[in-house]
Amino acid sequence: MSKFQEFKQSHWYGLAMLAVLTFVFWAFFKMLAPQTFGDLGKLQTYLKTALYYAVGGCGLYFICVMGPFDMSVGANIVLSSVLAVNMSERFGYAGLLIAPMISGVLVGLLNGLVYIKLRISSLIVTAGLSLVYEALSIFATNGKEAILAPQYRAFGDYPGNLVLALAAFFLCGFILKYTKIGTYTYAIGSNEVVAKNMGVNVDKYKVVAFVLCGFFVGVEAILTISYGTSMTSASNLASMSRNFPPLMGTFFGLAFKKYGHPVIAIVVGEFIIQLLFQGFVALGAPTTVQNIVTGVVLLAIVTMTIKPVKAVVVK
Amino acid sequence: MENVEKPDVSFENELLIEKPEVKKNKVPLMDRPIVRNIMPFAGFLFIVILFAILTGGQLFTAGNLKLLLSQSYVLLIACVGVFMVMTMGGLDFSQGSMLGICSVVICFLSNYNIVLAIICGVITGGLIGLVNGFFNVKRKITSFIVTICNMYLLRGMVAYATTKSPVYGASNITTFNTMPFNLTFTIIIMVVAFAVFQYTGLGNRLKAIGAGETAARFAGVRVEKTKMLVYMSAGMITGLAAFINSIKVGSVTSTAGNQLETQIMIALVLGGMPVNGGAKVKFYNIILGALTYKILTAGLVMLGIEPKTQQLIMGIVFLIMVGVFADRETGMIVK
Amino acid sequence: MSKVLLHAEKIDKNFGVTHAIDHVTLDFYEGEVHALIGENGSGKSTFTSCLTGIYHKDTGTFSLNGKEVNAKDQVDGNYQGVAIIVQEIGTLSGLTVAENIFLGKEDEFTSFKVKHTKSMNKKAQELLDAYGFSYIKATDLIDKYNFEDRKLIEIVKATHFKPQVLVVDETTTALGEKGRKELFKVMKQTKDDGRCVIFISHDLDEVLEQSDNISVLRDGVLIDTVKADNVNTDDLKKLMVGREMSNNYYRTDYDEKVSDEVVLKGEHLTVPGEIEDFDIELHKGEIIGIGGLSECGMHEVGKALFGASYDREGSVTLADGTKINDIKTAIDHSIAYASKDRDNESLVINDTIQDNICLPSLEDIKKNHILHAKDEKAFAEKYAKQMSTKMEGVHQFMSALSGGNKQKVVLARWIGKDSDIIILDSPTRGIDVKVKADIYQMMDSMRKRGKSIIMISEEISELLGMADRIIIMKDGRQNGEFKRSANLKDTDLIAKMV
Repeated sequence: MSKFQEFKQSHWYGLAMLAVLTFVFWAFFKMLAPQTFGDLGKLQTYLKTALYYAVGGCGLYFICVMGPFDMSVGANIVLSSVLAVNMSERFGYAGLLIAPMISGVLVGLLNGLVYIKLRISSLIVTAGLSLVYEALSIFATNGKEAILAPQYRAFGDYPGNLVLALAAFFLCGFILKYTKIGTYTYAIGSNEVVAKNMGVNVDKYKVVAFVLCGFFVGVEAILTISYGTSMTSASNLASMSRNFPPLMGTFFGLAFKKYGHPVIAIVVGEFIIQLLFQGFVALGAPTTVQNIVTGVVLLAIVTMTIKPVKAVVVK
Repeated sequence: MENVEKPDVSFENELLIEKPEVKKNKVPLMDRPIVRNIMPFAGFLFIVILFAILTGGQLFTAGNLKLLLSQSYVLLIACVGVFMVMTMGGLDFSQGSMLGICSVVICFLSNYNIVLAIICGVITGGLIGLVNGFFNVKRKITSFIVTICNMYLLRGMVAYATTKSPVYGASNITTFNTMPFNLTFTIIIMVVAFAVFQYTGLGNRLKAIGAGETAARFAGVRVEKTKMLVYMSAGMITGLAAFINSIKVGSVTSTAGNQLETQIMIALVLGGMPVNGGAKVKFYNIILGALTYKILTAGLVMLGIEPKTQQLIMGIVFLIMVGVFADRETGMIVK
Repeated sequence: MSKVLLHAEKIDKNFGVTHAIDHVTLDFYEGEVHALIGENGSGKSTFTSCLTGIYHKDTGTFSLNGKEVNAKDQVDGNYQGVAIIVQEIGTLSGLTVAENIFLGKEDEFTSFKVKHTKSMNKKAQELLDAYGFSYIKATDLIDKYNFEDRKLIEIVKATHFKPQVLVVDETTTALGEKGRKELFKVMKQTKDDGRCVIFISHDLDEVLEQSDNISVLRDGVLIDTVKADNVNTDDLKKLMVGREMSNNYYRTDYDEKVSDEVVLKGEHLTVPGEIEDFDIELHKGEIIGIGGLSECGMHEVGKALFGASYDREGSVTLADGTKINDIKTAIDHSIAYASKDRDNESLVINDTIQDNICLPSLEDIKKNHILHAKDEKAFAEKYAKQMSTKMEGVHQFMSALSGGNKQKVVLARWIGKDSDIIILDSPTRGIDVKVKADIYQMMDSMRKRGKSIIMISEEISELLGMADRIIIMKDGRQNGEFKRSANLKDTDLIAKMV
C-alpha cells in the first residue's frame, strides 16, 4: 500500500478534506467579494450561527444513523425556546437552561414512544406530533412574541455560546465513543436484525436516540433564543423550515462517518453551509436565495453520499 | 402468518421468517376490509353531524357550503397527484411550493395568453415532477428527502420571483373564478383521474408497486417508468390546481401554496388512506379526505375555537387516523 | 467414550406448515468435532440456530453439562456457553473491530455507564494478537477489512471466551486457504481443551477430515450418527439423499422423444458474481432440470432468462428471433417465472389473491380497453379454482395463505397468462407432499400440451423424477449434463455438484 493510500484510509484524510473544503469555499467567495465577505469578524459571526445549528445536528445524528428521521426538530426548537423565555422570567438562568432541556427530552421521549408503539414511518409520526408541539407553543405564548430579557442573553454571544456549544459537542462525542448507546446506535443503523440477535434491545435504543435528539435540540433552542432574543410561536407546520439547517450538518456527519469524527464533520459542515449562504448574500443575492441554496446543497450531499443500487427498493 | 421457506438458504431469509404468527381465527379489527372501508365514511358522517349540531346547522347553510366548496377545489385537485405517489408507497412534500411556482408561471404568462399560461403551468409542474422522479428512481434517494429538498428549492424560487412585488396575473383572470367553472373543472379532473386509475389497470399497478415493488417488477410492471410517469403527472395535476389558485387570487405572493403539502397529507389520511400506500388504497380516500378536512377546519373556526386548539385537535386526530389506517406488515422494519 | 457435554432432547421447530426439525435427540461429547450434514433444507442450520439463540425452538431442551441452555439471543447464548460463527453477515459495518468483538458485552468494560473504550480496544488487540491476526487493528472501522478478514474477526468474537460448544455454520465456503487454516486451528484448540465443535459444511471431504462424528439430517429428521473413520463420502451422500420414500408421484415415462424445435435459447449468459458464460437451449415440450448446490448460480439463471437480472451479458432469444432483455418483453412473449423467493419476488404479499393473479394479464382482461372489476374477479376466481387454491375468496390477502397455496396462486397467475415457456425456481420448496404432487402433475400435463419448462431445483429426487434433461451447475458454470433415464442415480448428479 502506498503512503497516499494509507493516508486516504486514515482519519486524517477526512479532517484534511473538511479543511480543504472550508478553505475552498472561503477563498472562492473572498475572491468574488473581497470587501463584504469573510474577514475575521465576519467569520466569527458565521461561526456563531453554525454553532447552534451544529448542536441540533449532533442530536439528529443519533436518529439518522439508525435510519429513521425526526421532522419535529423545528417544532421542538420553537416550543423549547418559548418555554426557555417563560422560565427565565421566573427562575433566571436556571430556568433558561433547564426548561428547554427538559422539554426537549420530553418531546424526544414522546416521539420515540409513539414511533415505536404505532410502528409507522417516523417521518409521519414526528410531522403529526409537530402539529401538537406547535399548538403547545402557542398555548405557552398566547400567540405573542416571546422576548428574552436582556440580562439573560449571555449564551447569545462569545464566550457563553461557545462554552455551551462545546460542552454539547463533547457530550455528543463522548456518548458516541464511550457509552453503549453509541455502539448500539451504529449497530442498529448497520443491520437491525443482526443487532437484535446480538441481544440489542432495538426498540429501547431507538427511543433513547429520540430522547438524545430531543435533548440536543433543547440545547440548540437555548442558543437560538439567546442569539435571536425573540421567538414567535409557529402554526401549520411553519416550524418545519427549522428542521433543515441542523439536518445539513447531520448529513455531513453521515458522509464523514467512516473517518471517525462525525461531530467535527457536523460542526465544520454547518460552517461550510454558512460560508455558502453568506457568500451568496455578500454577492448581493437576496436572502431568499438561502432556501434555494439549502435545497440544492441538501440534494447534492445526498446524491453524492448515496450510491444507487439497482435492485434496492426505495420508497 | 404461515411462512414455509425452508430455513437453510440464506441467513437474511432465515431471519425474516421469524415473524409473529397471526392467530388463524382472529383477524385484527383493522384488517377486516369492512371496518377499513366503513371507518372513513363513518368519520365523515360523524364530523358532518357533529358540526351540524354544534353550529346549529349554520355550517351547512347554502352560503357556507358555497364558501366551503370554493376553498376545496385546490386541495381536491392537488390531492389527486399526491394520492398516486402515495399509493406507490412514496411521499410528495413538494406540492405546495410546486403550486407556488406554477402559479407564478401562470400569472406571468396570463398577461400574454391565457391558454399558453395554462399549458406552461402544467408543463412546469410536469418538469418538476420529472426532477423528483429522477432523483427518486434513478439516484435511489427516498422520495421524502427528494421532495423536501425540492420544496426548499422551489420555495426559494417563488420567494425570489416575488421579492419586490407579487406577480400579478392579467386583470381579467379572476373573471373565470365562478362556481360553475371551478366546479366543472374540478369534477372533470376527478372523473378523468378516477377513470384512469380504475379502468386502465394503472391503479392495480400502482397498488402493486406500493405493496411490493420487487414482486410487481417480476409480474411485468415497468416500475421505473411508472414511477417517473406518476411523479410527472402529479406535477402536471398540481399545475392545474395552480390555475384554479391563480384565478381565485389573481396574483402570487411568496406564501402561495404554503403548507399545502401538509394539508394534502392530513386530508388523505383522514380519508382513510394508509400512509404507506399499497393494496388498501381506495380512490374515494381523496374526496372523502379533502371534504372531511375542510369541514373539520371550517367547523372548528365557526365554533370559535382558537387556532391553537384547532391545531392541537388536528394533530391528535391526524395521529390517531394514521395509527388506525396504517398497513403494517408483520416483521417489517420501520424506519 | 468420553463424557456427554451437550445433550439435545427432542428438539422441535416449525415454520408455519414446514416441520423444520422433527424431535431431534442428539448427544455431543467432550473433545469432539461433530459434523452435521444434510441437503439444503434438512434442518441443520435451524438446529444450531435454536441452540445459539438465533431462533427459539418450539419444544425440547438443550442441556450443557446437565444445565439447561435456553438462549434468548446470541449474546445470551455466549454467556450460557454456546457460540456460533454464522454463514453470512455476523459483523456490523460502521463499528470498530473492537466494538464488533464485544458487541452486547460492553458491560464488561463499563463502570458508571462509561465505556472504557481504551481498555476494550486493548483487550481486543490482545485477542487478535493471540490468534495471530495482529495485522488487524482493533481501533479500525471494520469496513476497512475484506470479507475474509471480517470472518477471522468473527472467529475471535465467537471463540475468545472459550465457549463450551462452538458452532461453525458453513463458514468455510466463504474462506480462502489461509482463513480455513486459521479456522481449523481454532477448532482443533477447542477440541483439545475438551470442549466441542459442531461443524456444518457442504464439503464432505472436509467433513471427513475434520470431524470425529457425523450426524446426518434429512427433512428435519435425524437419520444416523456415524464415526468419521468408518465411512467415505459416498456413504454420506447416500445417507443425505435417501430418495426411496418419494418416488411415487413423479412422471413415470422414460423414453419419450423430445421435439427438436428450440423455443428459447440463452447464449453466453454472464451475470457478474453469479453465472459465467452459461448456454442453454430449451425445446418444445421439454422439461429441463437445473441443479447444483444453492450457491452455484442456478437461481440466477432463471432470472437471467426472464430478463430480470441486472447487468446481464449474453443473449436470450426466442424461436422467432425476439431478444429478451426485460421482464415486460419476457411476459409479453409468453415466458413465465416463479421465483424461489416466493414472498418477495413471486408474489405481492400484501395484496389480494385477485390482484396477484391478474397483475400480468390486466391488458388481456380488458374489454374494449376498459378494465372492469367484475372481469378481474371472474378471471382470478377461474384460475384460482382451477389450481384448487384453498381460500376464503379471491379478495383474501396473500399473507394469510400457506406456502403451498401461495405457490398455487403463482401458478394460477401464469396459467391465466397462458405462458408457453415456464421457468420454475424451486417450485416445491417448503411445500407439503400433497401440493407437491399437484404441482408435478400440472407440470407433466403442461409438458404434454407442448409447453416448455425449466425447473431449477435443489432437490435431486425432483430433478431425476421430472426432467427430460438435467444440467448440473458448479461455481456459476455448467458442470455436467444428463439425459433422462431410469438408470440415472442421485450419486451421478452429486458427483458433479460438489
